[in-house]
Amino acid sequence: MKRNGVKMIKINSKNVDVFYGKKQALFNINLDIEENQVTALIGPSGCGKSTFLRCLNRMNDVIDICKVQGQIIINNFDINDKSCDVVRLREKIGMVFQKPNPFPKTIYENVSYGPTIHGMAQSKSEMDEIVETSLKKAALWEEIKDRLHEPGTGLSGGQQQRLCIARAISVKPEVILMDEPCSALDPIATAQIEELIDELKKDHTIIIVTHSMAQAARVSQNTGFFHLGELIEHGSTDKIFKNPENKRTQDYITGRFG
Amino acid sequence: MNKNKEKLLNSRYRTEKRFQFYGKSAIFLALLFLTIFIFKIFSTGYTAFQKTWLIVPVTFDAETMYLDENPSKEDLEDADYFDLALQTMFDLDKSASEKQQNDLKKMVSYFFEREIKRELLNDPSLIGKTKDVYLTASDDLDQVFKGNYPRDLPEDQRRVTDYQLKIFDQLVEQGRVESKFNLSFFTYPDSREAELAGIASSFMGSIFSILVCLVIAFPVAVLAAIYLEEFAPKNRFTDFIEVNINNLAAVPSIVFGLLGLGILLAVFQLPRSTPLVGGITLSLMTLPTIIIACRASLKAVPPSIREAALAMGASRMQTTMHHTVPLSMPGTLSGTIIGLAQALGETAPLILIGMVAFVNTIPGSPLDPAASLPVQIYIWAESAERGFVEKVSACIMVLLGFLILMNLFAQIIRHKFEKKWS
Amino acid sequence: MNLILFIFIVLLGFTSYYFGRKKAYTIQSTNKRLTALPQFYGYYLAIWCAIPAFIIYSLWAIFEPTIVKLLILSDYANQGYLDDELNLIYEKTKALSRGQFTGEVTSFIQTSSEKYLNLRSIAQSSKVVIVLCIIIASVAYAYKRISSNNRTREPVEKFFKAVLFTASLAAILTTVGIVFSLIFQTVDFFKVIPLFDFVFGTHWYPAKAFVRDSSEALDPSMYSDTFGAVPIFAGTFFIAFIAMCVAIPIGLMSGIYLAEYASYKVRQYAKPLIEILAGIPTVVYGFFAALTVGPFLKDIGTAMGLEVSAESALAAGGVMGIMIIPFISSLSDDVITSVPQSLRDGSYAMGATKSETIKKVIFPAALPGIVGSILLGVSRAIGETMIVVMASGLAANLTLNPLESTSTITAQIVVILIGDQAFGDPKTQAAFALGMTLFLVTLSLNIFALRVVKKYREKYE
Repeated sequence: MKRNGVKMIKINSKNVDVFYGKKQALFNINLDIEENQVTALIGPSGCGKSTFLRCLNRMNDVIDICKVQGQIIINNFDINDKSCDVVRLREKIGMVFQKPNPFPKTIYENVSYGPTIHGMAQSKSEMDEIVETSLKKAALWEEIKDRLHEPGTGLSGGQQQRLCIARAISVKPEVILMDEPCSALDPIATAQIEELIDELKKDHTIIIVTHSMAQAARVSQNTGFFHLGELIEHGSTDKIFKNPENKRTQDYITGRFG
Repeated sequence: MNKNKEKLLNSRYRTEKRFQFYGKSAIFLALLFLTIFIFKIFSTGYTAFQKTWLIVPVTFDAETMYLDENPSKEDLEDADYFDLALQTMFDLDKSASEKQQNDLKKMVSYFFEREIKRELLNDPSLIGKTKDVYLTASDDLDQVFKGNYPRDLPEDQRRVTDYQLKIFDQLVEQGRVESKFNLSFFTYPDSREAELAGIASSFMGSIFSILVCLVIAFPVAVLAAIYLEEFAPKNRFTDFIEVNINNLAAVPSIVFGLLGLGILLAVFQLPRSTPLVGGITLSLMTLPTIIIACRASLKAVPPSIREAALAMGASRMQTTMHHTVPLSMPGTLSGTIIGLAQALGETAPLILIGMVAFVNTIPGSPLDPAASLPVQIYIWAESAERGFVEKVSACIMVLLGFLILMNLFAQIIRHKFEKKWS
Repeated sequence: MNLILFIFIVLLGFTSYYFGRKKAYTIQSTNKRLTALPQFYGYYLAIWCAIPAFIIYSLWAIFEPTIVKLLILSDYANQGYLDDELNLIYEKTKALSRGQFTGEVTSFIQTSSEKYLNLRSIAQSSKVVIVLCIIIASVAYAYKRISSNNRTREPVEKFFKAVLFTASLAAILTTVGIVFSLIFQTVDFFKVIPLFDFVFGTHWYPAKAFVRDSSEALDPSMYSDTFGAVPIFAGTFFIAFIAMCVAIPIGLMSGIYLAEYASYKVRQYAKPLIEILAGIPTVVYGFFAALTVGPFLKDIGTAMGLEVSAESALAAGGVMGIMIIPFISSLSDDVITSVPQSLRDGSYAMGATKSETIKKVIFPAALPGIVGSILLGVSRAIGETMIVVMASGLAANLTLNPLESTSTITAQIVVILIGDQAFGDPKTQAAFALGMTLFLVTLSLNIFALRVVKKYREKYE
């Protein structure tokens, strides 16, 4: 989104290197993410796009041997800095995973989990409201409003993934990271999620990792192409798909490898 | 709002810290128990590996032994050494009253006669001469010398009399008391006298029981595991066998003791108190452990190996015997050793089949009555004499030593020989 | 003699293996195609040689003594002897023929003993002859079959499969054996003592039943108020409860810490160290409880002005709890580790702290498995014997004061059965009835717990 003709940059990554033990997985990534836009990260599998995504909310901390170097600046603050509090960071940056992973609890508890731990609701009615708005924003409310207290694991795959999206947006994050959110879903569910992503970008900055170039083309405004741990090219989706500068990008787009 | 948030976050972090602290304390407590445990056993037990000897001059007077002149070897064997031994002890204090003489006699073990006899048999030329002989001190003096026995108690609460202490102190002053490595702890059978009690009988009992257990449990368990893992059709009956095995693994050991008593002793009339019955009982108990270990390692052999062999035209039996079973052997063996280690430490079932009887001979076969190491611990722990406390701890040290060795061995087999399938 | 025959059969078995294989090579040399590898011909012959012989041999060993006994005692039939007296005569006869008889030798027993020896030698020689005949017949049959190049692999493999199957029955046989060893004595016990008195009676003094002489033993009225098991059941569950109060918090927290927090290094060392606690024999714990913990608690109690028994339930239960820590910790560690990582990721991505994730996501997800592992721990606590025998009281007090002494099912079984027992004495039978109770209680706990754990495993696999 442009404000006064200037692109608003939400996330600014500088010289990011990632190592798994001795193996380097990402090489010197410099990528700016625009606010309230959908940025797609594409590339063949194992190219490091998911690794980069997981850097943005420090999910790589979970993996013992993983080390991240370089700066990732969000709201003028380097999240790799020692003073950064991951709990607060992850409250601001939500994430949706490849496989739907609802908690083995009721639908209501799934959505209210984030607001509860972050103390966002003072009363039961406030919490009800948060749950309802989140589910509505995730376009799930109509389908499940009568069975809020049934286990979330009983929903269909597409519904589960939308429940996970509702869970992510319940804490009103500024950024939502999506790691191939549709790869485990059928085409109809995929279409619903894509529609939802378009809706969500009004309030959130979205970064989506995807295998499907068609999906990237459909949902994103900006695209970054990763290959073998390097960011080969990034820019507006139109440009990347119609007029790529780099030969490798072109080869990938046209399906010569991947 | 922001301030509230800050407060909430701080309290969340405090909760996190507290939770981690609980976790660490739990680990710490568990390890603390282990440390106290081992420390306690070692600190009470290490003294048992030393034994106190009184060095007493013995005059091998032919008359006191009722020997004729130029006695033959047989004469020496058959001679009566008791009066000589008694006289030796009385000579320590020539002015002793009758009661004090009795005290003197009780300063050494009742083996003193035998110890003097052995000395003479080793060197028959000693007749008529005087020689210093090592005599096993009574367990009470042994404890006094090791500092385990409070000397400042009033006399009537002590098992050692003032008179005995006086003589003993004199002997210590003269350098006639010596502490040496307690070999007899390993070579003597059990005894009612703490200073003479050893673990040889229970040790052999344990070895025989474990051997019987191994011979029965290992083949049956491996064959059963092979059937269940490789051949059994998936039906109700095999499910039933499986449920049975899992349950047996969790049945209290004492129930196996009742089985041994009610079936092996009462119905099959096998000899009571023997390692044979003990071993059979233990084998029934370890059977499920070994079956479960063997099945796990058979399961770990990837199906591709079986498919490869089957595709070459090998029969199922050949595939199993030539490929799957050899590959699963390291896991099976280490599981077996761990099962045997469990059996080695088992006490309750052996008590029920009578292996708790007092045995003062070293068993030569699984058909001789015997105790086992853990049962020996139980028997000694129930004895009142102070001298047995250190024996129990020492016996525990030996038992734990064996268990550690077996477990290490199992680890080595597992790490060295087990193939890691990626 | 028996051993020689046994070895002989084994040797013959090996020899026939080589003959069978050789035969296969001869068939091969005549350019005929073998139906299986040569060693199968060997196995085929060896099985036919040894197995029928062994079956006859074992049957003989089982039935020979019974038949000999019948023959010997037939001389004494119709002379008005009681069964017990007949048994005694037979034992005397046997002892005399072994030269171990020390009593007065009557002419009756002298003749019987001669007859006994005579019968035994006939039996021995006829056994050898029959076994040899069987071997010759079955080897001849088998040799004929392999000579005509019949199939050998299938029958051999079928035989091996049958052996494997038989081995797998061992587990069932053991369970059947347990039930059989318990049931007869238990039924006899309840013939004398009404079930109601056993389950609801509050006085347990089995020693009272022992001092009576056996002629009165069938009068049930004198056993009233002797075999009321309530104090023992209460003591058992009370001590198990104390044990679980120690084991659950420590075991569960260490399991959680090891699974979620501990670094690879800490885990590598702490886990096996804690598991050492599970490898220590229970008799060692018993010694520790009786010699160290009991007196220690008593001293503390005295210092605080409390009356503490040296054999308090607290000492036994506490030490038992230490023993159970590793079961709970490693089982719950396994259960927690098998919760899928995606659930953790989901929670962390919401900004949850580790402890929030554990308490609100992982723990509820792992709960069935954890409950299962705790139940297995309870079953172990109930069945634990040596600690209570050595550290808790042997008198069955009905109390809920952890500082007093109580007794348990297992301790009572040992107390009653240690030393010589007379089967048929209600006191001995009481031990088996207690054993039956113990078996049933732990069995149902185990079945339930294992099922819960299994269901849980399947959910995440």
